[in-house]
Amino acid sequence: MADSPLGFSDTHNAIPLQKQVEPLREAELISSTDWFIRIRWLAAIGILVGAFLVGPVLQLEMPASYFAWIGFVVLLYNIILYYIARRYRQASASLSSFSRLVITQIALDWLSMGLLIHYSGGIESPVIFFFVFHVVIAATFFSRSISFALTILAIFILTGISLAEYFKIIPHIAVGHLKDFPLYSDPLYIFAVLVFFSSTVLVITFLVSTITERLRRREAEVVNLSANLLQSSARLQALNESARAINSTLELNEVLNRLVKNTAEAMSIRACSIRLLDKTGKLLQPVAAYGLSQAYLEKGPLDLDNDPLDRKVLEGEVINLSDASSSSLLQYPEWAAQEGYFSMISAPLIGKNKPLGVLRAYTNKKDHFSSDDELFLSAIAAQGSSAIENALAFQTIESLDATKAAYIRVFTHELRSPVSVTRSLLQTLSDGYVGEITDQQKDIVDRGIRRIEFLQKLIDDLLDLAAGKTPDGTGEVTEGVVLEELVDQVYKRFQVPAEEKKIELICQDEAEPGVTRVWATVEGLDRICNNLVSNSIKYTPEGGQVIIILRRDQKEACICVKDNGIGIPKESINHLFEEFYRAPNAKAVQREGTGLGLSIVKETAASFGGKVSVESELGKGTTFKVTIPLLSSN
Amino acid sequence: MSPKRILLVDDDPDQRLTVRLPLEAVGYEVFEASNSEEGLKAVKQVKPDLIVLDVMMDSATAGFQLALDLHSPDPNSEYIEFKDTPIIMLTAIHSTTPLRFSPDEFYLPVEIFLEKPIETKVLLDKVKSYLGE
Repeated sequence: MADSPLGFSDTHNAIPLQKQVEPLREAELISSTDWFIRIRWLAAIGILVGAFLVGPVLQLEMPASYFAWIGFVVLLYNIILYYIARRYRQASASLSSFSRLVITQIALDWLSMGLLIHYSGGIESPVIFFFVFHVVIAATFFSRSISFALTILAIFILTGISLAEYFKIIPHIAVGHLKDFPLYSDPLYIFAVLVFFSSTVLVITFLVSTITERLRRREAEVVNLSANLLQSSARLQALNESARAINSTLELNEVLNRLVKNTAEAMSIRACSIRLLDKTGKLLQPVAAYGLSQAYLEKGPLDLDNDPLDRKVLEGEVINLSDASSSSLLQYPEWAAQEGYFSMISAPLIGKNKPLGVLRAYTNKKDHFSSDDELFLSAIAAQGSSAIENALAFQTIESLDATKAAYIRVFTHELRSPVSVTRSLLQTLSDGYVGEITDQQKDIVDRGIRRIEFLQKLIDDLLDLAAGKTPDGTGEVTEGVVLEELVDQVYKRFQVPAEEKKIELICQDEAEPGVTRVWATVEGLDRICNNLVSNSIKYTPEGGQVIIILRRDQKEACICVKDNGIGIPKESINHLFEEFYRAPNAKAVQREGTGLGLSIVKETAASFGGKVSVESELGKGTTFKVTIPLLSSN
Repeated sequence: MSPKRILLVDDDPDQRLTVRLPLEAVGYEVFEASNSEEGLKAVKQVKPDLIVLDVMMDSATAGFQLALDLHSPDPNSEYIEFKDTPIIMLTAIHSTTPLRFSPDEFYLPVEIFLEKPIETKVLLDKVKSYLGE
């Protein structure tokens, strides 16, 4: 690109950078306009003061009125420039308007400079030195070529004035004693001054513009670097966000859609797509797309036999095509051309054991993608691969779960049904609905009933345990459970059994005030509380006490079931939550028991993100403590 | 006063026996049907005062379908005269499995669920209360 009048070369080609540079350049233009105007007030006042003071103070004969006129003119055009600049600023005028304004100022200044030199003695004038200021200022603000052009203009102005005075085309105005020693008509003097003036201003122009150019380059580099940094940080952020977004769900479609959208946005590109290998392992089917036309997606699956690009990508290569429409690697290059997708990068999505598919980015420019883009896309693809694999695994688990749920249902019916019918049949007999039976017969039937009841309990416990181990086995958690209500129901449910055993059952709500809402299901919590409270009642002798305590802190709720029963031997504590384990003293109290109750409690609590702990002293009592996260902390 | 008539629909003859014996012992007249189809026919013939229904018969939802047919609010229903006949549903589904049924769900127009194994006393109490005795 060509140099702009103000010397900022457009060496950057990245689009975001252009956006960064524009405001900078504009700001500098506006501020330099302002600066010129401010300096000019001083210059004008300097000329006016000089006009009236220099003559009398130095007792020089000089045409004060001319200087005064020049001072006024400078003041006048500066006022006009001031208002123009203000209007431009208010109207947010274009860059070129400001550019023109700066050039106009320079032209007017140099014209006044010429007049000032002429009226202060032409070639003899000490004001000539002031030209150096102008040259320095011009070289600071303008590009090298314009600076030299202006410097040469200055040389022309001075040469013009001295030659015109020498050839008497315009009158020479002598200042002070110099009228007695007229140097303006001395060719050698004129030649010497012009040569030294020219070389001075040219060298200064060269030095200043060289330094300025170097500074500008640095500045551009800084702008460039900071733009790159911004871009990198935006990409890192995008990568981070996409990681979060895709890992926050296990729904495959959601993962795929977020992945393509985030990638397209982070790379500021037109489109992005994901194709996954289907079951044949030969065809790539489009599964998610962002910014692609429906027609393009419906062009058909990509067949690896005809698609060398994706064959290579699935082997692990990242492939950057600068012009896809003419690439022989594509199965459908004519489609890419028709849709205007020219640059295309494809990165492999590779799972732990096998390739999954291809993540592709598209733009409508040729040669668009850099090696940074390749790295970025493969980073996203690597991240996406594990998310996709997780989602796929989750899909499999979900279908396994469905099978399991169906199995459990069949199991429930098939196993429970005969057991419960047998029990009912025996019960009918024992209750005498079919006629009198002898005491011995009744005793035998009742023994049968007790054994069947145990079998029934075992089946129920196994089902509970299975339910606790299934992610959604305890039902869908929707709005959480209010523990106060649940604990109260448990308390009421066990009042009768406790009374029968002459045990004092107490419920203490230490979580007051407020309600304790936990992330759980009523079924699951019921199962936990029923097991713990019934255990406590079972293993606490007559006259004992069972206390249900509800507590709450910032993050979790706690249900404690405390008794002063038989306690648990130290050596049993570690085995307590093992399936089918029963402590020896528990067996002594009650011969029959499945040994599954505490496993159920533990598994169910774990399914709500909770924990179970136990403290016990043999012969003194036991406290079970279940903690479950509050709903608000989820 | 003639005894109240109870229709028992269950595909398990043993289960029918365990329900039938106590009901007869306390003086109800009990009729049996072994599947939904027979059940629907029997309803019209027997005109029962109460129905005891098994939740799963020919298929997992046969019992529900039967209950829906009988309790349909549609005034043109074939069984409109049984719209208010109480139904006690027996279920082997364990309450804590994800498939939890409860009568407040609109599509399960039954009065109550009793979980197997059936406690004879509970069954007799419920029958008594739904018959308004």
